[in-house]
Amino acid sequence: MKQSQEPTSRRVWAIRLVGLVLLSYTFFMTFTVPLGPGIEDVLVSRTELTAEGGVYEMEIVGHATHFATSEPRVFLRRGDNVMAATAVKAMDDTHVKCRVRLPKFVPAASFDVFINGKQDGTISYANGFFATGLEAVAKAKFPANEAVLANLERADLDFHFPFQPNIMESIRNLMLHVPMWFTMFLLMGISFAQSIRTLRVGGDLDRDQRAVSAVKVGLWFGVLGLLTGSLWARFTWGAWWVDDPQINGAFVTVMVYAGYLVLRGSIQDAKLRSRLSAVYNLFGFCLLVVLLMVLPRFTESLHPGKGGNPAFSSYDLDSALRAAFYPAVLGWMILGTWMYRLQLRIEQTRERIAEAQLTRSNMPLGLLLVTPASTSSLETVFMASGKMPVVVGVAVIILAGLGLWWVRTARMLQSLSEEENTLNGTHNA
Amino acid sequence: MRETWFLFRHFWKADVRAQHSVAGLVLFAIATVYAAYQVVQGRPEPETWNALAWIILLFTAFNGVSRTLEEDRTEVLAYLRTTVQPLHFMLARTLHNVVVLTGLACLVVFFMGLLLGWANLDGLRIAGFVGGMVLTAVALGTTLTLLALIAARAGAGFGMTAVLGLPLVLPVVLVSTTLGSELMSGVLLADTWHNFAFLGALAAGSGVFGAVLFPYLWRAS
Repeated sequence: MKQSQEPTSRRVWAIRLVGLVLLSYTFFMTFTVPLGPGIEDVLVSRTELTAEGGVYEMEIVGHATHFATSEPRVFLRRGDNVMAATAVKAMDDTHVKCRVRLPKFVPAASFDVFINGKQDGTISYANGFFATGLEAVAKAKFPANEAVLANLERADLDFHFPFQPNIMESIRNLMLHVPMWFTMFLLMGISFAQSIRTLRVGGDLDRDQRAVSAVKVGLWFGVLGLLTGSLWARFTWGAWWVDDPQINGAFVTVMVYAGYLVLRGSIQDAKLRSRLSAVYNLFGFCLLVVLLMVLPRFTESLHPGKGGNPAFSSYDLDSALRAAFYPAVLGWMILGTWMYRLQLRIEQTRERIAEAQLTRSNMPLGLLLVTPASTSSLETVFMASGKMPVVVGVAVIILAGLGLWWVRTARMLQSLSEEENTLNGTHNA
Repeated sequence: MRETWFLFRHFWKADVRAQHSVAGLVLFAIATVYAAYQVVQGRPEPETWNALAWIILLFTAFNGVSRTLEEDRTEVLAYLRTTVQPLHFMLARTLHNVVVLTGLACLVVFFMGLLLGWANLDGLRIAGFVGGMVLTAVALGTTLTLLALIAARAGAGFGMTAVLGLPLVLPVVLVSTTLGSELMSGVLLADTWHNFAFLGALAAGSGVFGAVLFPYLWRAS
């Protein structure tokens, strides 16, 4: 029988402490760094069409803006054509009303809306204005007006996350949702390496235990990644599940590793189990790399940084996201490896107990799934204050999921060690 | 090479001798197509036709690889373990599965055309579709052979092969359904050749993978 778990070294505890500090810092940053100013919506409240053109009254809704004190100026723009709005009136910090007069022949059917003001600098909303009732002619030009773009104010803002239309506050999920996948990659990578070593010596129970522990914890992160991603997708892309290569790849990967656990469950002989599951694990990891890292870059994807979509880093001009994201990835990875060591301890204790010819006990894992009662009320709740509740929801899912894991693990370790103690006691007596 | 060829003939003879095995596969393929024909009541939409064809091929393939041959008895395997190299066994087994699945794929397309019509396919595109089916059968054969052998070693049958294999063959299925729907929507054969290349690459990749990993399954204990 193997010796009991050797005590964890000080160095390992130091690394774990660093991980916890990084995670605390991450959570602090995620919820306290303000979002930069941006335009949430542009509403045309009144349209007046005449023979010469049209007059439009617009209301612009900002998020985290300072319209009341920044004396905003509003422009419509398409290419070189710029038209300034008149009668600009800030209702409060986030609402501005203005009027724009356009000729009958305009250079395009839609325009980007720009606002320039003292504190916020220039913020824009792509294709925010449609010139309904006017004729779009490629040759048409707005009268050149150098004065329109003169004396623009520059932004004067504190440390902030970049504003993205539609994503808004939920950009904070970058620090919560994305590291779930990074941690899963790391754990599956550990499992891959251990499986290779298992095969090298033709079946090794110790390496095999490491491989399966890493997969079990990695799967937990994968499921949390799917759940948080689903919530984020609902309020960014409009559906709980969208047809996207990245999502499908993630789902298939989770299924492959679930299949790995099913395969293990069906083999009695430990040595054969270690070899067969190692072979399958190698196959599965290669599929993970292809499905999650290679394919989405070549096909069209809604995910940032993948086919036909810029990564968030391209908007992150003052590196605020990076300052929170990199520590987050590191912190989650340290937590993941810590969980992996705990899971390994469970597997090893179980193995010792099984060796002592005691029946193994498996704790069923209960997953709590909540179905929404009414979508429309959900809409109002989650879309409020720039989708900040989406971030809270994602954080709650992760904390609840990981909390469940830690409670389960603590209980299991306790019951296993008690079982082992009674067993040793009876042997000694 | 001679050993591989000999083993392939060995598997083939085992199949011929136990006729019910192959006959069962053929009957399964035909019955599935016929069931699909009854369910959709005649001539379906092109998208439905395409989906049905690939799903039927997938099921037939799983059925085809996960059966156990008469020659898979423990005694025979124990004898083979002492006489042949695992690489040669794997190559022969893969080749055998590929040949059987190719035949089944052709059968499925033939009966699809007979019972459900050809949807939007015509002339050269029918040939392209059959080619895609055959290439998919090859890719499925190379991928699923290893998984079926894993399931067989685990002492589990069809269910385990499906659990392990379905997620892993998804890239193949994605490429071949894309190929099918492109041919359905009238894309020229020359403009969709990259899908054939993808399928070939997937088949080659998983074949190499299986050949590398199989020796680890081959050991007696």
